[in-house]
Amino acid sequence: MSAHTVSMRDALYEEPGPKTRRRTRIVTAVSLVLVAVGVGFVVRQFYITGQLDAKYWSFFLRPSTWLYIAGGFLGTLRVAAVAGAIALVLGILLMLARTSGVKPLAAIARVITDFFRGVPSLLLIYFFYLALPQYGLRISAFWMITLPVALAASGVLAEVFRAGVNAVPRGQTEAALSIGLTPGKTMIKIVLPQALRIVVPSLISQLVVVVKDTTVAYVVSYPDLMQNARVLITNNDALVQVYFVVAILYVLVNFAINQLSIYMARRSGNPIISRATENPT
Amino acid sequence: MPTQTPVIEMRHVDKHYGPLHVLQDINLSVDKGEVVVLIGPSGSGKSTLCRTINRLETIDSGEILIEGEPLPQEGKQLAQMRAEIGMVFQSFNLFAHKTILDNVTLGPREVLKTPKDVAEREAMELLARVGVEAQAHKVPAQLSGGQQQRVAIARSLAMHPKAMLFDEPTSALDPEMINEVLEVMVELAREGMTMVVVTHEMNFARRVSNRVVFMADGQIVEEGTPDEFFDHPKSLRAKDFLDSIRGH
Repeated sequence: MSAHTVSMRDALYEEPGPKTRRRTRIVTAVSLVLVAVGVGFVVRQFYITGQLDAKYWSFFLRPSTWLYIAGGFLGTLRVAAVAGAIALVLGILLMLARTSGVKPLAAIARVITDFFRGVPSLLLIYFFYLALPQYGLRISAFWMITLPVALAASGVLAEVFRAGVNAVPRGQTEAALSIGLTPGKTMIKIVLPQALRIVVPSLISQLVVVVKDTTVAYVVSYPDLMQNARVLITNNDALVQVYFVVAILYVLVNFAINQLSIYMARRSGNPIISRATENPT
Repeated sequence: MPTQTPVIEMRHVDKHYGPLHVLQDINLSVDKGEVVVLIGPSGSGKSTLCRTINRLETIDSGEILIEGEPLPQEGKQLAQMRAEIGMVFQSFNLFAHKTILDNVTLGPREVLKTPKDVAEREAMELLARVGVEAQAHKVPAQLSGGQQQRVAIARSLAMHPKAMLFDEPTSALDPEMINEVLEVMVELAREGMTMVVVTHEMNFARRVSNRVVFMADGQIVEEGTPDEFFDHPKSLRAKDFLDSIRGH
C-alpha cells in the first residue's frame, strides 16, 4: 500500500519480457472495451427506463435533502467511532486474557472470542433489540446498534491482536525476561507495542467492516446514513439515485480510513526490520 | 579449593525434549570471577544448559543454585534473580521498537527503579565502553550485527549482574565483526566478571577462560583448564571434536 517500503509484492515482482508486455497490452485493451460496454449498457438502461429524468434527481438540489443525508452520515460516524473504540479495548483485553497463561481465564476468553467472532452481528442486534427489553433492560437505539457491532468486531480484533503478538519474535520476550521484567511488563512494554504495529493493516480493514456493519442500524430505527437513505427513498420515490449517492459516501469514508492507515504507518516511523530475529539451535 | 559459595551451581540436572534426553545428570559449578566456556558439537545441549541457568528453559529434575539459593520458579523472585544474571543471545534480541539508549535504560528504570537521568548517564557510559555511544539515538535495525551485540552486552551490564551468560554471542555475526564483540568480552573477563560462555571461538576459549567444559549428547564429557583440554584432551569424543574443527 505505502509506496516507500519494499512490499512483498514488489519483492516478488519480476520485470516482464516482450511477450508478457504485449499480452498485458492486449488484456488491458480488451478489459477497457468491456468496461466501457458495460457502463454504456447501464447508462442506456437507465435512460430507457427514465432513471435519468430530472424528477429523480432534482431533490438533490434542495439543501434539506443534504442536511438529512448529513445527519445520517454523522449518525453512522458516531456509531462506527464508538463501536470501533469499544472493540479495540475489548479486543485487547480478550487477547491479553487468552494469552495470560492462566488456564480458566484463557478458556473463558477463548469462548467469548469465538462466540462473538462466529455469531453474525445482525443476530447480536436482534438480541439487544428484541430479547433484552423482555428482561426489562431498556437501552437507546444508539447502543442497540453500537454494542452488537462492537462486540462482533471485538472477537475478530482479539484474534488479530493475538496474531500480532505471535508474530513478535520469541527473542524479544526472552530478552525482556532476562533483564528482570515480569511477564506482564514484558507484554506491555515490549511485545504489545511491536504487535500493534504489525497489525495496523488488519485493524484498518476491520474498522471498514465496522463502518459497513453499522448499516443494519435501520433494524433498530437508529438514524444512520442507511436509515435516512431509506426515508429519502420513500419520500422521493428515487431508489437508485439515493443509494448511488449513499454508496459513494460509504466509499469515501472507507477511503479516508485507508488513507489514515497509510499516514499512520508512515508516521510510526522506526524501521523495525531486524537482521536476525529468530533463534536457531 | 576455597570453600566460597559458587555463583552458579548445577546438581544432577536432567531435561528431556520428548524422547530426547538433552541434559543428562549435569553437575557444574562456577565460582566468582571464573570464566567457564562450554563447547561441543551442535545439539550437544550446551545452549540449553546455558538457558536453564536463568530459567529460560525449565529442568525436569535436579537443582540449580544461584549463590547457594535455589533458582526461583516464578513470580517476582524469578524476575529478581534474572535481573541479577545478564544474558547475551546469539541473535542479539535488542528491543526492535526502542532506541539504543532506551534498550539500555529500560531494565534499570523498570526493574531497579533508577531515576531517568541517572539511568541515562550510566547507559551512555556503558555504550561508550563498548564503543557505540554515537549510535545511542538510532534503532537497532540501523546498526551492524557487531554493534547490536555490543549494545546487548551493555544492556545486560546496566543491571549490574553477578554473572553473565553468553549463548553463542558471535555465531550470527559476519566474520569481520566477531573480534569487536570478543574484545568487549575479554575486557569483561579481565575485570573479574563471572561468565558462562557457549562459543565456537576456540581462541577466545584458550585465551580467556579458566575452564573449558566439553559437552556431547547432553552430557558433560570432560572439563579442565584450556591448556589441558586443547593440548591433551582425555576423551575420544573431545579429540574427535578438536580434530574436526582444526580441519585435519
